Amino acid sequence: MNALLRVEQVSKHFGTRENGVTAVDRVSFGVAQGEFVSVIGPSGCGKSTLFHMIGGLVAATEGRIDVEGDAIRAPHPAIGMVFQEESCFPWRNVVDNVAFPLELQGMARAERHERARHFIDMVGLHGFERNQPSELSGGMRQRVSIARTLASQPRILLMDEPFAALDEQTRLLLGDKVLQIQQELSQTTLLITHSITEAVQLSDRILVMSFRPGRIKREIVVDLPRPRTSDAVVSPAFGAYVADIWNDLRQEATLGLAAADRRRTSAA
Amino acid sequence: MAAAARMTGTAAPRLAATLLLLAAWQGLALSGWLFQDVVPPLQTVLGGLASVLSSRDFYANAAITGAELLVALTAGGIAGVLVGVALGSSRFLSGAFERWVNYLSPTPKIILFPVLIMMFGVGVGSKMAMGSVSCFFPVAISIAAGVRGVDPALLRVGRSFRATRAQTLRKILLPAMAAPLVNGVRLGFGVALIGVLLAETKLSNKGIGFMIMEAYHRFDMPRMYALLILAVAFAATVNLLAGRAASRLGGQHQGTLR
Repeated sequence: MNALLRVEQVSKHFGTRENGVTAVDRVSFGVAQGEFVSVIGPSGCGKSTLFHMIGGLVAATEGRIDVEGDAIRAPHPAIGMVFQEESCFPWRNVVDNVAFPLELQGMARAERHERARHFIDMVGLHGFERNQPSELSGGMRQRVSIARTLASQPRILLMDEPFAALDEQTRLLLGDKVLQIQQELSQTTLLITHSITEAVQLSDRILVMSFRPGRIKREIVVDLPRPRTSDAVVSPAFGAYVADIWNDLRQEATLGLAAADRRRTSAA
Repeated sequence: MAAAARMTGTAAPRLAATLLLLAAWQGLALSGWLFQDVVPPLQTVLGGLASVLSSRDFYANAAITGAELLVALTAGGIAGVLVGVALGSSRFLSGAFERWVNYLSPTPKIILFPVLIMMFGVGVGSKMAMGSVSCFFPVAISIAAGVRGVDPALLRVGRSFRATRAQTLRKILLPAMAAPLVNGVRLGFGVALIGVLLAETKLSNKGIGFMIMEAYHRFDMPRMYALLILAVAFAATVNLLAGRAASRLGGQHQGTLR
């Protein structure tokens, strides 16, 4: 496969060699141009660490991550990150939030506002350009963050559980929005998530991670027709994928829960 | 403020309290219980206010106090911001030095006044120094807390878009700190005014503090009260404006809290 993004034998250890944790263990995969790939796993499987390494914010202990042969050592211009936590600038209105990366590039005000408006429309926030983030709902603010990252026109959109803080209905509807955008832009996307429905709804391919050490346990090609919408959620084929992945994940999630329980009892 | 009072229904009791206070004052003045003129009747105080406001002397002295205050705010404020940023952004510096700032902060700065007189003379210099020293502490403490309070998520966004150091400072750190900055300056203004006026009452021949003491020594109570009222009104107005600016900036920040 001719991959745009390539992750090769990447590991991340925290702490010392004798007394440390291997968060990510020899993970390898590629993402092709225009492909939508999800990485799914239980809490504590190292998927956020993986996100930060691909984003260039955290260095890998071993292995190599590259974009078309260009190794990632710091945030790479080809990669646009969307974070899990609230990250709008509260003192900027919507249009100035979205135009932020363009402002850093030194683009003129009129031009960057025009480009920002285009992406604001795309995420369905037309009419909210002049609103402050505090006047928007959590889902709307997360869409502002997505528009902001899209405005930088990254070759790869890298998202870490962007909808984790939102309710299920909002998640499904935002998922539709992401699908629509992805079709419109043929945006290459790597999504980190713990939501099985979200992964199946959006992805061409799903990589299932194991609980500590985080390894890629299995790869699933989602062969559902495109264009998709959240309507697909009720189809039998969709249900079959979800059940299949849950079978795999249940084991890992149980391990994660047990580890959390151990931590709690040893702390008490 | 007035609109807010109307909305919350506190306008009436506020007005009642003010009227009650004025009535009590007037009653006390007319009762003759206290030594004559210690509590002059309201019309006499108003007369004193009019005569102060129409004297050239007042404006000359107000200008001097104002200039001292401005220098104090600038010097103490800039030093406070620099030290605050240093303490807030370096765990080492904060561990080594922050306790000194915290220990010295509640110390009454007026005890340093003799030292400042020897260093800066009996003129405006020592008053500016008093104000600067007073202003420095609340600004430094507030800014240090402000730097620590900047949401790391916003800094990560800046890094992910490969913002330069200067861009991070100008477009993320400074705006994120606008509210603590205004608040620090507001607190700094209050203590700088105290420092300057207090120093003027101790040893000086110019400024509002000096005028207040002069009126006291001459036992010109209406004039003294008039000057006190003007000083309080000035401090209250600046505090109100700074408070409004701070709450407007703070209001924008509430959106990020979950």
